[in-house]
Amino acid sequence: MSAVAQTAAISAPARSWTPRLRAVEEPSRRRRPKLIYGVVALVGALTIGAAQMALSILTTQSSYELSTLTQEARQLTWQKQILYDDVAGLSSPQYLAANASALGMVIAESPSYLRLSDGALLGAGQAALGATSVDAIGRAAVPNALITDTPLVTAPKATIEGAPVETAVADGGVANTPPPIADGLPTPSTH
Amino acid sequence: MTTRSTRSPRRRTVVALAVVLAVLAGFIVRLVDIQVVNADDHIADSMEVALGASRTLYGTRGEIVDESGQTLAGSILLYDGVLDPKNVGPLTREDDDGERVVVPWKDVAAEIGVITGQTADEVQKIVADALAEDPDSQFAYLRRGLTTEQYRALVDIGAPFLTFDQHPARTYPDGAVAGNLVGFMGTDGDPLAGIEKSQNDCLLAANGTLTFQKGKDGVVIPGTEQQQPAVDGGTLQLTINRDLQWYLQQLIGEQVQDMAAQSGSVMVVEVETGKIRAAAEYPTVDPNNVDASEDADRGSRLFRDWFEPGSTFKALTAATVIDAGGQSPTSTVTVSGDETFANGARVTDSFSHPAYLYTLAGVLIDSSNAGISRFSETVGAETRVDYLTRFGIGQGSAIGFEGEQVGLLYPASEWDNQTLYNTAYGQGLTTTVPELVGAYDAIANDGVRMPLSIVESCTKADGTVVTPTLPEPTRVISESTSAQVRQMLENVFLQANYNTEVEIPGYRIAGKTGTGEKSDGNGGYKRGVYYTTLIGFAPAEDPKYLVVVTLDEPTTVTSSAANAPAFQKAMTQVLKTYRVMPATTAPTLLPKFG
Repeated sequence: MSAVAQTAAISAPARSWTPRLRAVEEPSRRRRPKLIYGVVALVGALTIGAAQMALSILTTQSSYELSTLTQEARQLTWQKQILYDDVAGLSSPQYLAANASALGMVIAESPSYLRLSDGALLGAGQAALGATSVDAIGRAAVPNALITDTPLVTAPKATIEGAPVETAVADGGVANTPPPIADGLPTPSTH
Repeated sequence: MTTRSTRSPRRRTVVALAVVLAVLAGFIVRLVDIQVVNADDHIADSMEVALGASRTLYGTRGEIVDESGQTLAGSILLYDGVLDPKNVGPLTREDDDGERVVVPWKDVAAEIGVITGQTADEVQKIVADALAEDPDSQFAYLRRGLTTEQYRALVDIGAPFLTFDQHPARTYPDGAVAGNLVGFMGTDGDPLAGIEKSQNDCLLAANGTLTFQKGKDGVVIPGTEQQQPAVDGGTLQLTINRDLQWYLQQLIGEQVQDMAAQSGSVMVVEVETGKIRAAAEYPTVDPNNVDASEDADRGSRLFRDWFEPGSTFKALTAATVIDAGGQSPTSTVTVSGDETFANGARVTDSFSHPAYLYTLAGVLIDSSNAGISRFSETVGAETRVDYLTRFGIGQGSAIGFEGEQVGLLYPASEWDNQTLYNTAYGQGLTTTVPELVGAYDAIANDGVRMPLSIVESCTKADGTVVTPTLPEPTRVISESTSAQVRQMLENVFLQANYNTEVEIPGYRIAGKTGTGEKSDGNGGYKRGVYYTTLIGFAPAEDPKYLVVVTLDEPTTVTSSAANAPAFQKAMTQVLKTYRVMPATTAPTLLPKFG
């Protein structure tokens, strides 16, 4: 028995109920798709494409820019290195001491301290008498190859190892040194 | 319906199809092989040959800084100029009017020479020599170690046959300041001496790589960079104070010259911590220009040399007899300037005198060999060796400096009759400056010997701070013994014949001289030349700093008096540098004679 026949057999008893028949409505005529969708889709696709291209161009562009900037950074690094090389050694103690010596400054002997609480002078309380404990410029014993040829700031004709610069010391060598204090420093009276 | 006539073309078709399929299959296999199976290899090849490029990212070797963070050793970049001798030739340039002019090689060589400090002939010779050796030579160093300024100037010449290799290098902004300690590096970047070598683990940087793909015009293709970053070396902080170090180097330099000595040194140690604040030597090395120094001056004599200390050891013997022999600074012995002992040993003083009733303090003040020998009899030889060992003699120091020497202290069982007494005043054994300083640190630091150190810390690139592990401090003598020895040493500086030379107005200082005889290498001693030492600490009432000054074979003044002016200045500078306040109390004078 075919499936159709079986179906017919089963539905046979229901035959008493008359099916309501009606005419199938005429399908509405398929409208033409709106042009706008197509346009939107196309424009969308094109926009995406364009955006992608623009982004790609921008990335490429910025990679060129990056390249330029990297180059610039490299130039600046070189410049920094050159400057660093230029000033290397200028902060060394030899250079400072030689400069100070050329100005006539001396490394004094034992220190004295002023105690603020009672104005007491601790230590020997003697002035430096013009003699320096080491001769930083005349007998430079600590070489520095970085600044061997660098002129001193305070004596452009000398270097840290170069000719000592004549500094006039007035009689007794106490010219620019204040006289020793005999009976304590005057202390400010504060309230 | 297969007829003969139809079968033949069909078979042909089948055969042709089969051949086409076979070829196609072959291509597919190859395609899969290229695109899938061996894809990675081919990508790698393409990277290597065409697109890819990589660059070494140099890590920076760590700085060495002093106690206040001032740079003692830093890193810079240097360049090696490399010529391609085979392709050396004239250059074509555009002049100001836009016309092309040919610059002959001779002139180019002169331009190069002006920048590198060579003559045109020298530059040409480099090329000629390389070509003479190998006519196809494409590699010859123009000059190594060019500065950035020279490098940029050479690039501006625009010679295609001149290329450059960049490599990291070291610079020492302070020159010879602490050069003896810091050490130096070889031109190939290997540490060769000093702390650069011994602390290389801290300072060493790890190089990284940057790989990327390049477009046709050399621009990096975005998103293709892969970076394995370089790791910089750690910053090594020393306990050294560079300004003090400079002053002392200058000072000892002048003193060595004044005294016409072979060499000299000054070491400053903080009593309570054992930190070395300065270790100056002359002659020494400027790490920026190692070639300027003699081979023997490139290391540190302070750590490398040993010597027979002489009278500085009398303080150690005095401490031993007070601590273990029941003596006191006012205990007495009777000795003359030329004393023969019961076992047959004979000890003479540096000056002749009749029998004196010396106190222990008096023995130290006059530095009487016979007197300290007599006092040494109050303890056994074993006890003395035991004390010397605890003072650190023959033990080296905790620093473990590159090539550090260790003193030689024989066991008591090997002491002969003369050695038994000689060792009481520092002959018949050897020590090193760090050992001597360590021993005096025990005396100054209430009887506890602090391990010496020169490295404060290592700060790694990631910020972790590593401090070196030091051995535990050693209790050598009791606090009361320490106080008594300090008092005697203060009296030495107050009453000895060189007292005015070591005096620092306003301060109380203590110390002892030593004039050690030097072995002549044949079992005897050199005549008339000594290894002189002056060691002391201040303030005597509460010691903060230890200073030792040594001179090797001073000749202007041969005794340890040669060291006195330098010691006085060195100690003054130390007290100023660290703002140590002048004394507010007066010393107690001890009697020389009983």
